[in-house]
Amino acid sequence: MKNYKDLAILALVLALVPALTGGSPYYMRLATLALVYMAWTVAFNLIFGHTKQLFLCLGALAGSAAYMTVVLTKQLELSPWVTVPIGMATATALGALFSYVSVLRGLGIIFLGIVTLAFSLIFHNLVLGLRQFTNGETGLVTRGLGFPLLEQPMSSYYLFLAVLLIALAVYYILMASRMGMAVRALSDDELTAELSGIDVTWYKVLAAAVGSAILGLVGALYGFYNGIVSPSVFSFVSVDIPVLIALLLGGMRTRLGPIVGAAAFALIEELVRPFGQLNVLVYGILLIVLFVAFREGLVPMLRKTLKLALP
Amino acid sequence: MAAILFDGIVQGLQLSLLAVGITLIFGLGGVLNLAHGQFAVVGGVAAALFLQLGLNPFLAALGGIAGAGVLGVVVDRTLLLPAYRYRGEERLLLGLILTLGLSFVIDGYLNYQFPEFSLTFQLPLAMVEVGGIAMRTASLAASLIAVVIFAGLFAFLRWTLLGKCIRSIIENEVGAELCGIDPSRTRTLIVCLAAMMAGVAGVTQGLFSSLGTEMGPEFTILGLLVAVVGGVRSINGTLAAGILLGIVNAFASHYVGAYVAYIILLSAAMATILVRPAGLLARFT
Repeated sequence: MKNYKDLAILALVLALVPALTGGSPYYMRLATLALVYMAWTVAFNLIFGHTKQLFLCLGALAGSAAYMTVVLTKQLELSPWVTVPIGMATATALGALFSYVSVLRGLGIIFLGIVTLAFSLIFHNLVLGLRQFTNGETGLVTRGLGFPLLEQPMSSYYLFLAVLLIALAVYYILMASRMGMAVRALSDDELTAELSGIDVTWYKVLAAAVGSAILGLVGALYGFYNGIVSPSVFSFVSVDIPVLIALLLGGMRTRLGPIVGAAAFALIEELVRPFGQLNVLVYGILLIVLFVAFREGLVPMLRKTLKLALP
Repeated sequence: MAAILFDGIVQGLQLSLLAVGITLIFGLGGVLNLAHGQFAVVGGVAAALFLQLGLNPFLAALGGIAGAGVLGVVVDRTLLLPAYRYRGEERLLLGLILTLGLSFVIDGYLNYQFPEFSLTFQLPLAMVEVGGIAMRTASLAASLIAVVIFAGLFAFLRWTLLGKCIRSIIENEVGAELCGIDPSRTRTLIVCLAAMMAGVAGVTQGLFSSLGTEMGPEFTILGLLVAVVGGVRSINGTLAAGILLGIVNAFASHYVGAYVAYIILLSAAMATILVRPAGLLARFT
């Protein structure tokens, strides 16, 4: 049970955050958004951190789940209890497919990056092109369609917290299982791992599928919470880049890294908000500086400097 | 029909001009440049600034191209240094992230500094008739420039000693180094050349219609697609792929609309990566 102590502490800390915001809707929204990005970063840690699959289509995966969910709810008037799993399954299937095809064809990190980037653009253009379903650039209003829970700030915060904790628990369980060992081996050297009897294909596809499922579930719920799904909500710049920066900032292949990184990124973004359009420039500088000078991330750095036993 | 075909070839040549830079930098430096479209935009912006100074349009265009070249040298000598310390997959990943960051820095700065920017060159004569088809002089001029540049590039790579050095580095970096070729100096030269070619593409975009600061990512993506379809190490392949994709794009956008055309292009690129990772013409280079 001691493996899950940090999960319990984290749950407690995050559960107390709403008390700090003093009930202000603005800060509640920021905190909820931070939870969304934390969950996405946990998923990306599994996909990119542990199995080195550079998915540049996180926004497209989350967005495809959100659009699938919202469009089905709207067009067929299904309950969101049915459509959210369908959306999640869509993202899972897509992620697993990319992973499987890339392993099968022996694509390097670069080519998988380009294939998934091309998928991001295809998704974006499909959304713009299929105007009768998606309402193009304007997007679809989701108010009153989904869960009434997701329309109040306090309850949606706790709902996303629950989802984040489930995602983290799944991650912990997987990493403590056979898969954890296999993934650690194959992130060092895939060929050696394969030779020592680890089914590299299966574990890479499994990691991509679980990661995509988390991306899709959170994406679909975020679509309802946000009140609108539009191409810009799930664009490359608004999902992929923040998640990549958050993961690098927090530290890849660590348990707490994605959480710390996404929280730090939310803080940084709030600080540069007054500069308006320059936020893209700040993202760029962050990416460069983080990757050149700070490749380990916050959690491993804190471990070293403060001699903390951080997971 | 002929007009669409011609349009496709003109567009394709511009795409090749962008993509060949990506191919060269990837072949020589092992870095996939995700800021290549931004080089083109910087070239255009520099040209526009020279125009504002009251320079003759021709000189301003040259100045813009030189500006893109200077940016290329600076980037190669500063930003990419950490990437060059590594080899293989590690360098690819580092280069990818660094140039992605650079593209955001350039985009963010230009959109902030020149929000209403657009570059347009006016030619004295708008249309000419060639072989019964009325053509825009702008398209003709742009294609002519591209053809001259490609001819020069091929001649340079084939017949000069430096060109041979470059091809040898593309083939095997360590081997070339053992033969006494300095990869880092040649690399700087190539990044500069590639950036200048991107600058040409940016400036000629101002001939067709107008160039805006927001066009960088689009240029990068299109260049990347062409480079990938052509085979990221083959220059002939890139030229052929550029013209092919230009023609496909022209016909597709004429018959089925721009969104579907773009989706067709992207799917074609994805299919090429999956079926022939080394590029369409891989066997012939």
